[in-house]
Amino acid sequence: MVAEKQHSKMVTRTVDLRSDTVTKPTEAMRAAMANAEVDDDVLGYDPTASRLETEMAKIMGKEAALFVPSGTMGNLISVLVHCDIRGSEVILGHNSHIHIYENGGISTLGGVHPRTVPNNKDGTMDINLIEAAIRDPRGGLVYPTTRLICLENSQANCGGRCLSVEYTDRVGELAKKHGLKLHIDGARIFNAAVALGVPVHRLVQAADSVSVCLSKGLGAPVGSVIVGSKSFIAKARILRKTLGGGMRQVGILCAAALVALQENVGKLEDDHKKAKTLAEGLNQIKGLRVDVAAVETNIIYLDMLDDSKFTAENLSKSLEQHGVLVMLEGPFSIRIVLHHQISASDVQYTLSCFQQALTGVQDENGN
Amino acid sequence: MVTRTVDLRSDTVTKPTEAMRAAMANAEVDDDVLGYDPTASRLETEMAKIMGKEAALFVPSGTMGNLISVLVHCDIRGSEVILGHNSHIHIYENGGISTLGGVHPRTVPNNKDGTMDINLIEAAIRDPRGGLVYPTTRLICLENSQANCGGRCLSVEYTDRVGELAKKHGLKLHIDGARIFNAAVALGVPVHRLVQAADSVSVCLSKGLGAPVGSVIVGSKSFIAKARILRKTLGGGMRQVGILCAAALVALQENVGKLEDDHKKAKTLAEGLNQIKGLRVDVAAVETNIIYLDMLDDSKFTAENLSKSLEQHGVLVMLEGPFSIRIVLHHQISASDVQYTLSCFQQALTGVQDENGN
Repeated sequence: MVAEKQHSKMVTRTVDLRSDTVTKPTEAMRAAMANAEVDDDVLGYDPTASRLETEMAKIMGKEAALFVPSGTMGNLISVLVHCDIRGSEVILGHNSHIHIYENGGISTLGGVHPRTVPNNKDGTMDINLIEAAIRDPRGGLVYPTTRLICLENSQANCGGRCLSVEYTDRVGELAKKHGLKLHIDGARIFNAAVALGVPVHRLVQAADSVSVCLSKGLGAPVGSVIVGSKSFIAKARILRKTLGGGMRQVGILCAAALVALQENVGKLEDDHKKAKTLAEGLNQIKGLRVDVAAVETNIIYLDMLDDSKFTAENLSKSLEQHGVLVMLEGPFSIRIVLHHQISASDVQYTLSCFQQALTGVQDENGN
Repeated sequence: MVTRTVDLRSDTVTKPTEAMRAAMANAEVDDDVLGYDPTASRLETEMAKIMGKEAALFVPSGTMGNLISVLVHCDIRGSEVILGHNSHIHIYENGGISTLGGVHPRTVPNNKDGTMDINLIEAAIRDPRGGLVYPTTRLICLENSQANCGGRCLSVEYTDRVGELAKKHGLKLHIDGARIFNAAVALGVPVHRLVQAADSVSVCLSKGLGAPVGSVIVGSKSFIAKARILRKTLGGGMRQVGILCAAALVALQENVGKLEDDHKKAKTLAEGLNQIKGLRVDVAAVETNIIYLDMLDDSKFTAENLSKSLEQHGVLVMLEGPFSIRIVLHHQISASDVQYTLSCFQQALTGVQDENGN
């Protein structure tokens, strides 16, 4: 008991690496929210929401946009609008966020059937396997009807991996060839664009719709934006209302999102550098392994080697006592996500905490 | 010519006050999905206490509040819910309980006073012995105040009787309490007493209470635990949502006390409108902040023409039918706005200026 009390006194800082969703609003965002020009976005149009939507559509190279409370709603609306006819099927990665972490809502609420194709380690799905998964229309007596392909960029469960422009375009061509739509779960599309060094609108050019998170690496407190054609967004607006996402003076949240767009896209490259630094450092620690080459954006998956004395759970508890928070991914797997409110000093602190937890040896900096 | 705007289309148009803006700017926040946002927790604890229920959950809209409530109570496929033919859930929520939730609606006529006859509700409950052909009734929904009937209040006694009926048949009771505070104030009863019989209530903060966004669902701990998951599934899981909850807390603290004034203004306006040749308002039926006015046969106008004419003077109203207009009062409508509105109506309908020369 005494040892625990001494331990808790030792925690002087928190380094929250569980997700980039933990980002708190900056002073500039708080000021923008306090001063936001607002109106009833359901009865009419909230002017700040309109500004954000216009700006996002332009940045993403699409006709129109719609602010939604979450990425889950962004994806749910997109799938349900593309698949609005009963009996629809959507092709998506077996390890995609929509399939794993969205409560199966596309089916339980939307009646859409999922057809998974394996995600490769790099986040892609083999194009020939996607094509093989498309239902032959001549089998319509027993098949659902494929209407949509979903990609995820960056692909989170594969480690924040980027899908290239070329790959995305090829999937887009496949979709067109078979009369299907293409939706991109672009929760972290800006991370992908920055990592690939391409304009984000080029990256999503082949897509009919994209769902983009503002509350992750871009740091806004709440929300995502769906982009697509005018007719798609018109249907999306209605479905948003049906789901209960029609908010009134929502410009308050959109004001913060506009600041996020203006100020924080430029910081993503630093997040990627910090992730690389941290990944390289972790990979040096006895008992841990990180595929450093696979760290393309702000996400790190680390595995604990057989000869390590720890489970992921023990390790994460030990780290927690030093204020370092990570996400458990499996009995021997941990996920770390970098964001703009993690400093270079936090990265060094994290490395020394891992070092100490695993080897009990203090590093040169005496921690 | 338009020097002022008097927006009477709905109480949802209320804009955040300075106090709300300050609260939002300073709100203590955290990731409400990964863990708990402290300001959201404060609001939810406060709302549960005020409503006399175990727990609460902040949601982006009343539509989501009702949708979640119906779907959680009716989480078994093949469920049916009894609700008013003129209820908001049935008319203005895109049929979501069915199109998304697979729940079948069974309507019972709303009377002019917002109630449904108890014997008709009972008759609508499916006989379990007919299960081969019937869906299974699991839920009764009331709406208080009942909007389409004119913001009418359901009494404590009526609500309790419906609650007893629900219990007798093993059903749940949900109250669409978008304007439950208006009803409680108009009836002069504590709001927790008004909803005592209900298993769940959906309460709007963005209407008369004036918050920019959101509603709160209240119910038992187990109900709210399921509601939280369904909220995530619907896409309503917001991260640093304490920003919105901070404004909602201000709304709760500052604006419940102003509702009585809204009701007085509504009464004044209703009486004045009823005096105008060509219009009729059932003044006795104006119990809260909503007025329905009808245009009489001998009036030269349709509701649409009249509303366009009013718009030119900055007065905005809601069209309800070819000869019917709805007006909703809220705390950002002043007594002077009420007088201005009356003179605009007067001028539009009779072309005669009132004593104040407008």
